[in-house]
Amino acid sequence: MTERHSIVFIVDDDASVREALKNLIRSVGLHVELFGSATEFLETQRPDAPSCLVLDVRLPGISGLDLQRRLADANVHIPIIIITGHGDIPMSVRAMKAGAIEFLTKPFRDQDLLDAIQVALERDRTRRQREAEIAGLRERFESLSPRERDVVTKVVSGMLNKQIADEIGIAENTVKVHRSRAMEKMQAQSLADLVKMVERLDGSTAKAS
Amino acid sequence: MGIGIWSTHFTAMLAFRLPIPIRYHWPTVLLSLMAGIVSSAFALYIASRKKMGPVRALNSSVIMGIGIAALHYIGMAAMRLAAAMHFDPFIVALAVLFAMGFSLLALLLTFDLREESRGTPLRKILSSLVMGAAILGMHFTGMASASFVPSATPTDLSNVVDIDPLDTLGISTVTLLILVLSVVSSAVDRRFYAQRLQLAWAESKVVLNHTVRVGAMDELTTSLAHEINQPLTAVVTEVSASLRWLALQPPNLDEARSGLARAIRQANRASDVIGRVRALLKKTPPPMRALNVNEVVHEVLVLARNELHGHGVRAKTETTVDVPLVLGDRIQLQQLMLNLIINGIDSMSMVNDRPRELIIKSAPHPDGVLIQVQDTGEGLDPEKAQRIFEPFFTSKPEGIGMGLSISRSIVEAHGGRLWATPHSPHGAIFQFTLQRAGKEK
Repeated sequence: MTERHSIVFIVDDDASVREALKNLIRSVGLHVELFGSATEFLETQRPDAPSCLVLDVRLPGISGLDLQRRLADANVHIPIIIITGHGDIPMSVRAMKAGAIEFLTKPFRDQDLLDAIQVALERDRTRRQREAEIAGLRERFESLSPRERDVVTKVVSGMLNKQIADEIGIAENTVKVHRSRAMEKMQAQSLADLVKMVERLDGSTAKAS
Repeated sequence: MGIGIWSTHFTAMLAFRLPIPIRYHWPTVLLSLMAGIVSSAFALYIASRKKMGPVRALNSSVIMGIGIAALHYIGMAAMRLAAAMHFDPFIVALAVLFAMGFSLLALLLTFDLREESRGTPLRKILSSLVMGAAILGMHFTGMASASFVPSATPTDLSNVVDIDPLDTLGISTVTLLILVLSVVSSAVDRRFYAQRLQLAWAESKVVLNHTVRVGAMDELTTSLAHEINQPLTAVVTEVSASLRWLALQPPNLDEARSGLARAIRQANRASDVIGRVRALLKKTPPPMRALNVNEVVHEVLVLARNELHGHGVRAKTETTVDVPLVLGDRIQLQQLMLNLIINGIDSMSMVNDRPRELIIKSAPHPDGVLIQVQDTGEGLDPEKAQRIFEPFFTSKPEGIGMGLSISRSIVEAHGGRLWATPHSPHGAIFQFTLQRAGKEK
C-alpha cells in the first residue's frame, strides 16, 4: 500500500520523452512528477515520501551528473537512475561510482527502467525506515535522565554493575534501578538488544558527522 | 590598356591646334605605343599578383607613371612640325608625378576590389575613371609644359603621316576596338577568377575532409543521433506503456489509445529530422554536365598534391586519351576521387618495405568509363571487404566510416557502380564506372 505514495521524479529536457516516461511509470501505478531542468528540480519542495529520480545526463544548464553531485553534497540521498542518449563507458563509470542505481542508454527496454525504479524505491524505503528507527531510538535515548544515560553508556561498554557503582560512587542497587528503568524507556528486551541500539545510534551519529 | 593610353594621347593631340600643320613620324609613334603597352603590361602583372603591399603598389605606380610619361613624350617627339619644342622642366616633373599619383590610386582601387570579392561595378568604374584621369591629367599637364617656337628649319618629313587622315573616326575606331578587347580580357579574367575560386573551394574541401574525420563530422553525427534518438525513445516508451495499459484487467483503452497517438507523433518527428537532413544534403540536384574524367583526375591530383607529398606517396596516371565524355557533377566527382585517393594514402601509411604508389587509370567501359585507383597499401581483408561500403564501418582508428559510403552514393547518383578488388601482390584497387554522356538511362 505504501507503493501508492511512492513518487518517481523525472528530469529530462525533452518534453515528449518526459511525457512518455510518465505514461509508462503511471501504467504500473506509481506517481510521477516531471521537471524540465536540474534547476527546476532543485527549486521544488519535494514531498516526504519514498522516491527516486530518473535523470537525463544531457540537460540545459546544470547537467545530470552535476545534479547528482550537488544532491550528494547537500546530503540528499535520493536514489538516482541515469538515462542518456549516448552513454560512453567513462560517463557510466562516473555515474555508478557516484552511487547511481542504474545507467540506461536511450532507448531502453521498459522493463529495465521499471526494474531499476523498483530497486531504487525499495532502497529509498529501507533508508527511510532505518532513518525513522534511528530517529525513534534517539528520541527514546534523549528521554533518559542524565544519570540513566551515564549508566547505559557504562553498561554497554561492558562494565559490571559493581564497577559502575564504584566509579560513580553510588550503591550497586541504585545502579540496578537506573539500569532497569533505562531498559524499559529504551524498550530493550535484553542487554544484547540495548547494546545493538546504542551501537546504531553511535553509528548514525558517526556517519552524520 | 597600352593601346588605350596611346589612343588617348593621340586623340587628345587632335584637340591640340597650332597655327601650323602637325605631322607625325610613324616609327616614333609606334615606339610610343610600345612604351604604353610595356608599362601597362607591367602594371597589370603587378595588379594580378596574389598580394600587394604598399611598397609594391608604389613601385608599380612609379613605373606605370613613367610609362605614361614616356609614351607622351615619345609621342611628342614624333611630331613633325615647323616649330621647335621647349619644355618647362618643372611642369614636366609635375606631369610625371601626376601620372604616378593617379596610377597609384587606380592600382590601389583595382587591387582592393580584386582582393575582396566585394568589387562593386561602381568601384570598378571609379578606378578606371581615376586611371583615365591619370592619363589625361598627365597629357594636358605635359602639353602645358611645351612651348612651341616657330622655326625656319625645314622639318624632316621622311616616314611621316598626317594625323588628319586618321582623324577622329580612325582613332575612335581604334579606341572602340580597345574597349571591346578590354571587356573581353576582363571577362576572361573573371572566368579565371571563378576557376581559382572553385579550386580554392575544392582545396578547402580536402582540408575539411580531414577535419571531418577528426571532429566536425563526429559532432554532426552525435547531434544528429541525439535528434533522432529522443523521439525514438519516446516512441518505444509510449508503445511499451500502451501495451501495459492493454494488459491490465480490465484494459485501460483510453490510456493505451492516447499513448499510441503520442507514439505516432514522435515517430513522425524522427522521420522529419531525417527528412531535414536529406534536404540539407541534397538541397539542389547536382548539375550534370558532360565532362572528361581525365581532367577531373588531374585537377584532383593537383588538390591532393600536398597530401600525397606529405605521406611520401608517388602518384601516377595511366589515363586513356580519347576516353568518352561522361555525365557528372564535377565537384562531386572531385570529392569522390579525393576520398579514394586519401583512402589509398591512408592505407599506405604503414608501408615502409615497398614504394608507396598510387596509380589512377581511366579506360573506356561498356557503360562509359572505368576509373581505377590502385594503391600498394595493406590491401583488403576479405572479411572486411564486404563491409567497407557500409556507413559507419571503418578500419581506421580516427575514421568514422562515412568516406566510402558517401563515395558509393555519389557513384550511384551518377548511375555507376563502385567496388573494390585486391591488387596483387599488395594493395587494393577501387574502381568505379560512370555513364557516357548523351546515353539515356
